[in-house]
Amino acid sequence: MNGPITTYEPDNSLKRGYLSIFMEIFNELKKNRWLTYQLFKRDFLAVYKQSLIGSFWALFLPLISVGVFIILNRSGIFNIGDINVPYPIYAILGMAFWQLFSTGLMSSANSLVAAGTMITKINFSKKSLVIASLGRSIISFLIQFILVALLFVCYGFVPNTAILLIPLVIIPILLLTLGLGFLVSLVNGVVRDIGNILGLLLTFLMFLTPVLYAKPKIGILGNFSKYNPLYYLVSAPRDLVLKGTSSELNGFFITSIISIIIFIICVVIFHLTETRVAERI
Amino acid sequence: MSDKIAIKVEHVSKKYCKSLKRSMLYGVQDIGRNAIGLSSHPDRLRRNEFWAIDDVSFELKKGETLGIIGPNGAGKTTLLKMLNGIFWPDKGKITVRGRIGALIEVGAGFHPLLTGKENIYINAAILGMSKHEVDDKLDNILEFAEIGDYIDSPVKFYSSGMFVRLGFAVASHCEPDILLVDEVLAVGDLAFAYKCHRKMSEFRLNGGTVILVTHNMQAIRNICNRVIWLNNGKIKEFGEVHNVCDLYETHSITNKKGDLDNTGIRLHYDETVNISKVEFLCENSQNTIKLGAPLKIRIHYKTSRIVNRPVFIVSIYSVTQVLISTHYSHFDGLEVKSISGEGYVDYVVESPSLATGRYICSMTISEGEVSNVRDRHEKMYGFSIVGKKRSYGLVAYKVNWGLRDQR
Repeated sequence: MNGPITTYEPDNSLKRGYLSIFMEIFNELKKNRWLTYQLFKRDFLAVYKQSLIGSFWALFLPLISVGVFIILNRSGIFNIGDINVPYPIYAILGMAFWQLFSTGLMSSANSLVAAGTMITKINFSKKSLVIASLGRSIISFLIQFILVALLFVCYGFVPNTAILLIPLVIIPILLLTLGLGFLVSLVNGVVRDIGNILGLLLTFLMFLTPVLYAKPKIGILGNFSKYNPLYYLVSAPRDLVLKGTSSELNGFFITSIISIIIFIICVVIFHLTETRVAERI
Repeated sequence: MSDKIAIKVEHVSKKYCKSLKRSMLYGVQDIGRNAIGLSSHPDRLRRNEFWAIDDVSFELKKGETLGIIGPNGAGKTTLLKMLNGIFWPDKGKITVRGRIGALIEVGAGFHPLLTGKENIYINAAILGMSKHEVDDKLDNILEFAEIGDYIDSPVKFYSSGMFVRLGFAVASHCEPDILLVDEVLAVGDLAFAYKCHRKMSEFRLNGGTVILVTHNMQAIRNICNRVIWLNNGKIKEFGEVHNVCDLYETHSITNKKGDLDNTGIRLHYDETVNISKVEFLCENSQNTIKLGAPLKIRIHYKTSRIVNRPVFIVSIYSVTQVLISTHYSHFDGLEVKSISGEGYVDYVVESPSLATGRYICSMTISEGEVSNVRDRHEKMYGFSIVGKKRSYGLVAYKVNWGLRDQR
């Protein structure tokens, strides 16, 4: 027996310095790929095995929200704004990108709490738990995309070839979600209030972000959207799919860089503090 | 660290918080400080905090088996979880060489809706096995678990025994260098319990290092080389298994004195006949008798009339209220015409053959015949037998073994 030597002592990573932290994180993620996949599979199978309509749950919320907005618009209560494409396509596509963020954040926020007993009984990589929880929102995204494709056919709308860039342009929003997910899951593990507030906050934020309507040119919402990173992360990919270009490309690039930075900071925070979760959860 | 050492624990402490709200607050504080790269000063106690593990140090060589014993709440499981890396020490340092496998709770992480087979893969991944390893060992795991056709049904429909069997089957195929075991071997039916013990023996005989936490002293004595006795988070004793176990058992036997005495009742039918005092004649005053030493009980009586043909009765019960023996003075040949006034009668067993442990006695004076009870002290007197425990069961007689090898 000449296995690897492991040491546990307080503030372990702090003593080794910040640079080695990145190597540690990278190695841990690489080593635990299979674990992450298994955890994802567990999550996924568990959810869809017990529900009759299974995966089509993913379509439920977007269809309802979009339906409500169509009614509001037709009744003249609410002005969707200036869009040049059929509204359902615009809205469902926007919701798909938005939900990548919102359901992803919700499930990662609860990932540690949901695995509470496991965390206090077995020592395994908690990062894998958070990452795996994102899998479900990616699956939902794919399902919603089937709906979008159906709508394209219905309306005879031909999307731009930039649609092939989707796997690339959703990376920033995924990184942002994952980064925030790391942070929120950690805090939610200790103080449960966060999980409860988060649902409300996300609904609220959805209405403030031009997901189901076009960005107003003037007014509070217009100004708010200017500083709302989610606006860029949702609208730029959507514009790319619909038009092949976007007026918000600059904003998208800046937000992407911010997302990467947020992701790195949050992952490091998670790495430094994840050893404290088991004792508080 | 020399490569003979498997685990080295140096001055390790861990603090817990008694208040939930404060625990949450401290949790956020600690995480906040760590997050911005500051130390959370883990070595200081804040309000409502206490040391659950306090300055524990020990070393364990490869191939050794360590037992951890102690009363409930002594910190045994906390220590085990720290060795496993689930909890991190607040002070001190733990160094572990090799892969650690833990049987802290089998089947943790099983999802009730997934089938047994699906759960095997997931559980194995959580326990640190690679896909390749699980594929290789799947047949062995299935065979060990004895689940049969149920393997393709959701775990939800398993009996609790099947659930645990499957969990143990996965965990025991981890092939760690160091195995941590926490009270799980008592699960499942008898046949499976034996199987688990055999598996653990195999592991030890192949040079594996084991740390075992249990209240089953028999298991500790049979398996372990060395034992840590934890008390209030501190090491009270650490050393060779029988020495520490003897000390621990003596301590827990003699310290429970209060529980047993005074629980009895006095059935007094005749004011004129009294058992006035009961004495255990032993070297010290704590009613403690050394294993193998004679048991001597002196029953003092006091009567204010003449009692004809008195019968003295002594019954001995184990802690679990099992009657071990009842002896009647007249059956044993003590024929007394009458007694009056004060005096005493001695009850002496030269070699009582009682195992170490705690016992309770009843004393009775009857007149004329056994059932004509005058004064009865029902289970009012406790005594202990202490010493080196080398056998199990209610009695411990002297045994001479013989072997003739007919090669």
